[in-house]
Order: sequence, then structure tokens, then C-alpha cells
Amino acid sequence: MDFLKSMAIAASGLKAQTGRMRVISENIANAESTAQRPGGNPYRRKIPTFRSEVDRALDAQTIAMGKVRQDPTDFRVKYEPGHPAADDKGYVKYPNVNSLVEMTDMREAQRSYEANLNVIGATRRMIQRTIDLLRA
Amino acid sequence: MASPITAASAYAKLARLADPSANLGKAAESAGPSFGSMVKDAIGSVVAAGKKSDGLAQGMAAGKANIVDVVTAVTETEVAIESLVSVRDKVIQAYEEIMRMPI
Repeated sequence: MDFLKSMAIAASGLKAQTGRMRVISENIANAESTAQRPGGNPYRRKIPTFRSEVDRALDAQTIAMGKVRQDPTDFRVKYEPGHPAADDKGYVKYPNVNSLVEMTDMREAQRSYEANLNVIGATRRMIQRTIDLLRA
Repeated sequence: MASPITAASAYAKLARLADPSANLGKAAESAGPSFGSMVKDAIGSVVAAGKKSDGLAQGMAAGKANIVDVVTAVTETEVAIESLVSVRDKVIQAYEEIMRMPI
């Protein structure tokens, strides 16, 4: 039934946004994670990717999380000579996580999730109203 | 206006009504799947959907299943049950309507 199919597709969207949320929370939680040894590289920001998949059972295109890629941009550098992870010149590398960007991404994931929830809710209401026809 | 022929055909019809077993098998065959088998199939699919959602709910309680899967399966079961119940109510309503018919 097409109604159930559209609910399944929206559910795949929910799952994808959940995965994206997990990556964003990793980035935010690790925003200040420095290296364990002096001069080493800190946490590198992760970027979730999405790909559309053909679901043979549904005969429709669903969404799935692709590989989680790493952000190749430069790390933030701070001068902190007393820090255990500082290199010989006293500089510490901090992760290339910008909390403003992460907040924007998080809001986007949240809105996407809500959009998919609304699709499920609207589909459900359509089914309900159709079944209600039988109960005049 | 009642001619002997119409009276005879009316008697024949009545005889068929009075002896339903003679005609029932043939009628059920010609009219495709019977109501009974339709209800049986529908209940079978509802039971299958219910089993699936029950399994997922248990998985969620055990911390294994995804909440999205659980909600989708439960919704699917709910829709299946509701449509089955509505069809059943409608058919029973029609049957009662016929039973109330003054003869």
C-alpha cells in the first residue's frame, strides 16, 4: 500500500537524521579534545554524508547514511606553553570544530527530522480519514 | 397478472431458498473468494503485523531495536487492525440490516 510505503520512506529519513545527529554530537562533545601526546593531532571534525538508495521491496528511493568523512581543514592553534599537548614552541592544536557551524547543522537535522515526522503524521491522518469513511 | 409460469418460477426460487445447501457451494465458487476466506486472510496479515511489532517492542525494551522501527511497525499494525475492524463492522451492520427486513 502506498500509504505504508511513504511512511517507510519517511522512517528512513528519520533514521538518517538520527545518524547525522550522532555525528554532530560527537563533534560538539569533542570540540576541545586535544592530542594525548605533545605536538600530536587532536580530534578531527567528522562530516556525515547521505546517499539515496533504491529499496526493491518498497520500489522507491529511500535515504541512508553514507560514509562518515573527515573534515580536512586546518586545526585551530592556540599558544598555551603549559598545556600537556603543546609542541616545543608552546602551540596546542585544537579540533577544527566550529560550534556555530555545529549548532546550525544540528538545527538543520532537527528541522529535517520534524519534516519527516510531519510526513508520517499527515499520512496517518489520511489513512485514518479514509477508514473513517466506513464508519459513517 | 400471475400466470402459471411466473408462479412456477417463484416456487422454484422458493425451493432453492429453502434448500440452501444445494446451491451454496456453487455460488461460493462462482463469486470468487468468499467472505470467510477474506476475513481469514485479513486476520492472518494483522496477526503477522502484530507479531512483528511485538518482537520489535521487546527488542526496544531490551535496548536493541531502533525506536523508529518500533513506531513504524506499531503504526502499520494499528492501521491493519483498524481497517479490518471497520470492514467487519460494516459487513455486520449490513447483515443486521438484512435481518431486520420485514418479510
